[in-house]
Amino acid sequence: MVNIVNRIKDFWFLFGRLFPFPIRPGLRRIGSPDKNAPVLITANFELTVRMVMETLKRDGVNAWLLVANTKGINVWCAAGGDHFSTDTVIAALKSSKIEKMVAHRRLILPQLCASGVNVHSLKKRSGWQGRFGPVDIKHLAAWLGSGRPNPPPEHRRVLFPLKDRLIMGTNLGFNNLLFAILPLLLVSWWLPGFWWKSTLLIFAGSILNCAFVFKLPGRPGLQKGLAAGVIAAAVFTVIAVLSLHLNTLALSGWLIWIIVICAYLGYDTPSWSPLWRTDMKELLLGEKSTEVSINPEKCIGCGLCRNVCPAGVFGRDLLSGKSLVLHMERCQACGACAENCPAAAIETNFEGGICSCPTCQILNKLKK
Amino acid sequence: MSTLVYMKILELSPASYDGWMRFLTLGRVDRIKKKIAADWINPGDEVLEIGCGAGSLAALMSQRGARVTAIDISEKMLTEAREKVPDADFHHLTALEIDQFPPEKFNRIVATLSFSELTADELDMVLTLAANLLKSGGLLIVADEVRAAKPWQRVLAALIRGPLTVITFLITQQTTHVIKNFEARLATANFMVRRRQEYLLGTMALFTAQKSDGN
Repeated sequence: MVNIVNRIKDFWFLFGRLFPFPIRPGLRRIGSPDKNAPVLITANFELTVRMVMETLKRDGVNAWLLVANTKGINVWCAAGGDHFSTDTVIAALKSSKIEKMVAHRRLILPQLCASGVNVHSLKKRSGWQGRFGPVDIKHLAAWLGSGRPNPPPEHRRVLFPLKDRLIMGTNLGFNNLLFAILPLLLVSWWLPGFWWKSTLLIFAGSILNCAFVFKLPGRPGLQKGLAAGVIAAAVFTVIAVLSLHLNTLALSGWLIWIIVICAYLGYDTPSWSPLWRTDMKELLLGEKSTEVSINPEKCIGCGLCRNVCPAGVFGRDLLSGKSLVLHMERCQACGACAENCPAAAIETNFEGGICSCPTCQILNKLKK
Repeated sequence: MSTLVYMKILELSPASYDGWMRFLTLGRVDRIKKKIAADWINPGDEVLEIGCGAGSLAALMSQRGARVTAIDISEKMLTEAREKVPDADFHHLTALEIDQFPPEKFNRIVATLSFSELTADELDMVLTLAANLLKSGGLLIVADEVRAAKPWQRVLAALIRGPLTVITFLITQQTTHVIKNFEARLATANFMVRRRQEYLLGTMALFTAQKSDGN
């Protein structure tokens, strides 16, 4: 029975992953933890908690798992949207009474919550020493076993392999359709069949775009979307001329529609990916590209920025041991570095913890 | 109350927060706050407000001559509140950290639309902590979203609330909640409910509870 329910949930998560799925927050036991067992914390997104519990059980880890009330949102998005903050962690620690279960005060945080959680403030306010674990839960057991202070650099980076891109594609397709379906149905009033043909186009476009267009050379964004649209339109013209007997008006209508869809996907998708930021923000709002700088006078060389950065932006100056900005082009503007820098040495030209998707950016701009 | 679903959007822009709250609750939240200040707050009262937002209730209570201490987890809101009520004492704290105030410091603890943000475990703990902070005979005054008692009210509330929840979520990725079994929770934490008043189709309630003696 549990299995059937989980399979139904899995099916939903193929398409509806962008929506929150809250489960009961609180303390869970993994294996048989004792008073020296590690204490972990995660978001109360159903899929996250299930994956964390299953993975750790499989890896034979005994631990206490605190499920924080992040409103059913996954770790990274919750941290960016202020739902996985220092306050959230303190509330989870205190309401769980975990301090009575363990003899230590060390908390392992998921790395991607670093844009919301400040470990120095956590320590000061709660007495708990926070430490960031790996990005992916499947690397946690190995890190715990290694006894090293930090996970290895390759487990602190967010990658976006084909499998993840396909999942993101199906979810974006579903998301786009939610917004598009009503207008499509309305248009179908005088263009019968328009809605289902467009539905197929949007869905297939979302998946193909997410899975493959990113792989093409050049920066993802509107221009690449337009280019992909022109190619798709050319392919469609060949098919239409050979087999669909469309008149000129209908053909040109479909061509424009295909280019519009591809351009939109090109503009929208980068912001949903963990590797690229949208360039639309710059186009529409006239804002400069992301900038992060480290003040070498203030930097104390603790290396926390290198640990929390999911994009590998920072490096270490071999002589002074201080941090350096090495790969600005990789920055996602999550703000984790600035949030956790104990010396306030990191300056950014963006406000951390704000979603970088175009819609959020524009809404935030309008609110100001 | 269904329109309170929008609360989450409003939390993002503190400057207009109070005005929008007034608009969306048809002036109801304002009236509840005025009622709290007028009926339950006396000059010289030591008041703790949990989740003060932009400080509209803190201002009313301060005007009544109470000494107000208020907490919130939104720094933006606190900045706004500090400007609005310079006399009150504002802290960035979660509700679970109120145990840093000395026991029996307050004779009133108020919370409007903030307890529903807590999880069940958190709420129980906050109520216990609140009981410790109150002097004997002190009052806990809570206004929040509740589950309507009558089925038709619930259906109507769900009909209004359902679509609003979706819209709110699409814009803010957030939802709101109702407090469940609040009276039972109060009893467990050693509070005696003295009064319960309902508003907006029974989806909002104002509770006044007294710390039981012999605690």
